[in-house]
Amino acid sequence: MGQTTKESETIVRWKKTKPTTRRNRWWLIVMPLYLFTIFFVALPMVYLLVLSFLTRARTWGVVNEFTLDNYIRIAKPVYLNTFKESFQMAVITTAGTLLIGYPFGYFMARMSARTKSLMMLLVVIPFWTSALMRMYGWIIIFRSNGLLDKLLMGMGLTDSPQKLLYSYPAVLVGMIYSLLPFMILSIYSSTDKMDWSLVEAARDLGATRGKAFFTITMKLTLPGILSGIVLVFIPSMGLFFIADILGGGKIMLVGNLIQNQLQNGRDWPFAAALSVVLMIFTSVMIWIYRRVTGVRELEGLL
Amino acid sequence: MRKTKGFFAVLMAMALVVVSLSGCKGSGGESEKKEKGDPGELNIYTWAEYVPQDVIDRFESETGIRVNYTNFEANEEMLAKLETSEGGEYDIIIASDYIIKIAAEEGLVKELDKEKIPNFKNIDPVFQNFFYDPENKLTVPYGPGIPLLVYDPSVVTCEITGYDSLWDASLKDNLALMDSERVVMGMTLKTMGESFNTEDLDVIRAAGNKLMELAPNVRVLSQNQTQDYLLSGEVSAAFLFTSQVVLALSQNPELEVVYPKEGLGFGVDAAFIPSKAPNSDNAHAFLNFILDGEMGAQIAQQTYYLCPNQASYEFLDEEFKKSLIISTDDVPNGEFIQDVGPEATSLHEEFWTEFKAALD
Amino acid sequence: MRRRIRFSVIYQVILLLLMYIPICVVVIYSFNESRNSTIWTGWSLDWYRKLMKNRSLLEALKNSVILATISSGAAGIIGTLGAVGMARIGWRSKGVVEYISSIPIMIPEIILGMVFMAFFAMLNLPFGMVTLVLGHTTFCVPYVYMMVKASLVGIDRSLGEAAKDLGASERRAFFDITLPLILPAVFSGMLLAFAMSLDDVVISIFVTGAKTNTLPIRIYTQLKSGVTPEINALCTLMLAVTFLLVGMSRLLGGIRKKYPQ
Repeated sequence: MGQTTKESETIVRWKKTKPTTRRNRWWLIVMPLYLFTIFFVALPMVYLLVLSFLTRARTWGVVNEFTLDNYIRIAKPVYLNTFKESFQMAVITTAGTLLIGYPFGYFMARMSARTKSLMMLLVVIPFWTSALMRMYGWIIIFRSNGLLDKLLMGMGLTDSPQKLLYSYPAVLVGMIYSLLPFMILSIYSSTDKMDWSLVEAARDLGATRGKAFFTITMKLTLPGILSGIVLVFIPSMGLFFIADILGGGKIMLVGNLIQNQLQNGRDWPFAAALSVVLMIFTSVMIWIYRRVTGVRELEGLL
Repeated sequence: MRKTKGFFAVLMAMALVVVSLSGCKGSGGESEKKEKGDPGELNIYTWAEYVPQDVIDRFESETGIRVNYTNFEANEEMLAKLETSEGGEYDIIIASDYIIKIAAEEGLVKELDKEKIPNFKNIDPVFQNFFYDPENKLTVPYGPGIPLLVYDPSVVTCEITGYDSLWDASLKDNLALMDSERVVMGMTLKTMGESFNTEDLDVIRAAGNKLMELAPNVRVLSQNQTQDYLLSGEVSAAFLFTSQVVLALSQNPELEVVYPKEGLGFGVDAAFIPSKAPNSDNAHAFLNFILDGEMGAQIAQQTYYLCPNQASYEFLDEEFKKSLIISTDDVPNGEFIQDVGPEATSLHEEFWTEFKAALD
Repeated sequence: MRRRIRFSVIYQVILLLLMYIPICVVVIYSFNESRNSTIWTGWSLDWYRKLMKNRSLLEALKNSVILATISSGAAGIIGTLGAVGMARIGWRSKGVVEYISSIPIMIPEIILGMVFMAFFAMLNLPFGMVTLVLGHTTFCVPYVYMMVKASLVGIDRSLGEAAKDLGASERRAFFDITLPLILPAVFSGMLLAFAMSLDDVVISIFVTGAKTNTLPIRIYTQLKSGVTPEINALCTLMLAVTFLLVGMSRLLGGIRKKYPQ
């Protein structure tokens, strides 16, 4: 009112710039992360990259000979197949955890403050127990002549031991079970701060419960869904432990392959190359997801 | 708000407590200077519980030496750590034959001072002069074993006489094998009359193709406690290490053991002292300790491997002797699995990956 | 209204029960007489007795708890400050650093372990608790960072601006407005980080020293000789203590609510 456009522009520009003292403050706050990342992540990663271009020595270690062989080897069908299988497993696992975990996180966020924190703890506490012991727990129940078999046979539903374990579905269930808390807590963190009044407003305007959910709630909780997907998808390509125990050593994921190359094959450069490709692969997946869901406003989330 | 300030206060307090607690024990990783009269420490590095706790307790009480027992999961992890520490940090390492050979070649193994190990003479000569220590200057055998076939006669219909029998169609989805490519490929090579350690790429390829035919029969691949699958009825036949064989039979005496007609394998876990061990004298004392007749018996009866200690035989209790189906006479017939060079190893790797992909 | 609440409660309870089933099995089998942890032969308290005398196992437990606490704490601080700071600065390197800080969870542990080991050796750091903490914090940071980042996106910037307009300093605006809002995310991240640290084997094996053993290393490497119910007993005790602490803190919280100071 009474201000020229130029004056108002200046004022707006002034409001947007932060005074120099403030900018220094933020710089300091972000430093720990920067330093930590550069020293303990970036530098080791450079080592990894370099390693992937070297040649393996005859029995152990590496020889300083540059080669592209390791990457060329990955193009062999047997290894590409491993990537494909792992990708499949990861996608199904992520979808599974999302389907099961989203409602859980959502319901958690709607509870009273005291119950919320209790739920958070209850969800995580089982995972403070050794994963090995938990897997044994499942094995004791589901193996042939295990507790489930005894129950089924006792009730007369089956007459011979079932062979449920040491199969692809068993590994899948194990993966979903192990990665569920990541999804649940991610969804919860995001849903917790949602402005429920927006949903109420939509309902007041005549939207059905479903429409309100899909247009409002899901969009607002998208950051949580994204971080949940990242925290589940990425490990599920490499989690060799569950594949070994619940899959009877029969399922070979990229993680198992790398483990194998390092141990039995003693081929460090090849293992390094596989890891680099795995990294690129997962990064690309995440990038595609960001593009597809148009999460531009979540800039810098990953 | 008070709530968040309180939260941080608690966090800070916890952090302080925790830091001071960790400061107390002094686990910085440097070897401590020995005071006069202080017997010092011993750093043992091997799988957990592989050296029984009662053996360690007895050693500690008899010598006053403090034992630090840390663990690794795979031999290769051990070697990587040993390389990084350039032969230092650890005093006694117990690991598998093939890795000791590599460690020795890299100069990471110390030559034993036999004068500090008078009990060295107790070692049964059958367990000496192996490929990784041909002059017996570097190691003390700890856990020797021969893998065998074990099956449940009440379920298995075909006759099992050797590795080849495992390809029988009646064993569909009923077999447990070791999750080790060299062992399984090795087994296949034996059925073709070849050595475990052939470097002929064509032979290896032929073995790989034959292995694919075994895929439908395999139900489980496992490194550890494979006997559990046999005992619980998950599988009806299995290829087991000595300790697993002994445990299986002790819990189900009805199981049958088969010496594969194509030829036996053999493997040893042995103890050695790294080249720059910080407590070398204590290490020698420990080796002498476990080579004592009574101790040897105590160890063998808890690890369930063959007992390499002649002086222990009189201390082994009768039941244990009976359960030990393998006698030392079989040892010379066993072939070790040894390193075969990069091309052969890569080929083994590839077939193993394909094999696993074909399973399930 | 009421029906919807009921379904949500049922859903959560069922899922929780499913998550706790293997835990129950672990607890029950701690009373297993047999040396073999998975084959039941009878009831016994022997393993608890053995556990109490097992100095090295208890020490490994102590090391792991200390390690997990410090690592998740450090990760909590670094991750939270990082996420909050990243949201405010506009540096061009920002995106790259963010991406790199999440790499630890993209790489297989065994590679990470070997790389850390080589790196720490190069820096001549003593292998032991120090290197363990550094290694664990590195893979814990992404969890906290991502949770807090996701949480920050939903926060209404204008709340902080309003506080500043009313005269609050930057610091107060952070501590009194932003932090309480992102606290659930920080807490979630730290709880998960604690779980990851408490169960880490591979990286730990590579970065620990000759005198520091951790609980997961102990448990997983015991597979060769056979996992005994002693481990079950240990897990049961850990669970009992955890639930006790949780119960106590809730009681205290409840009392404080009734009698606000």
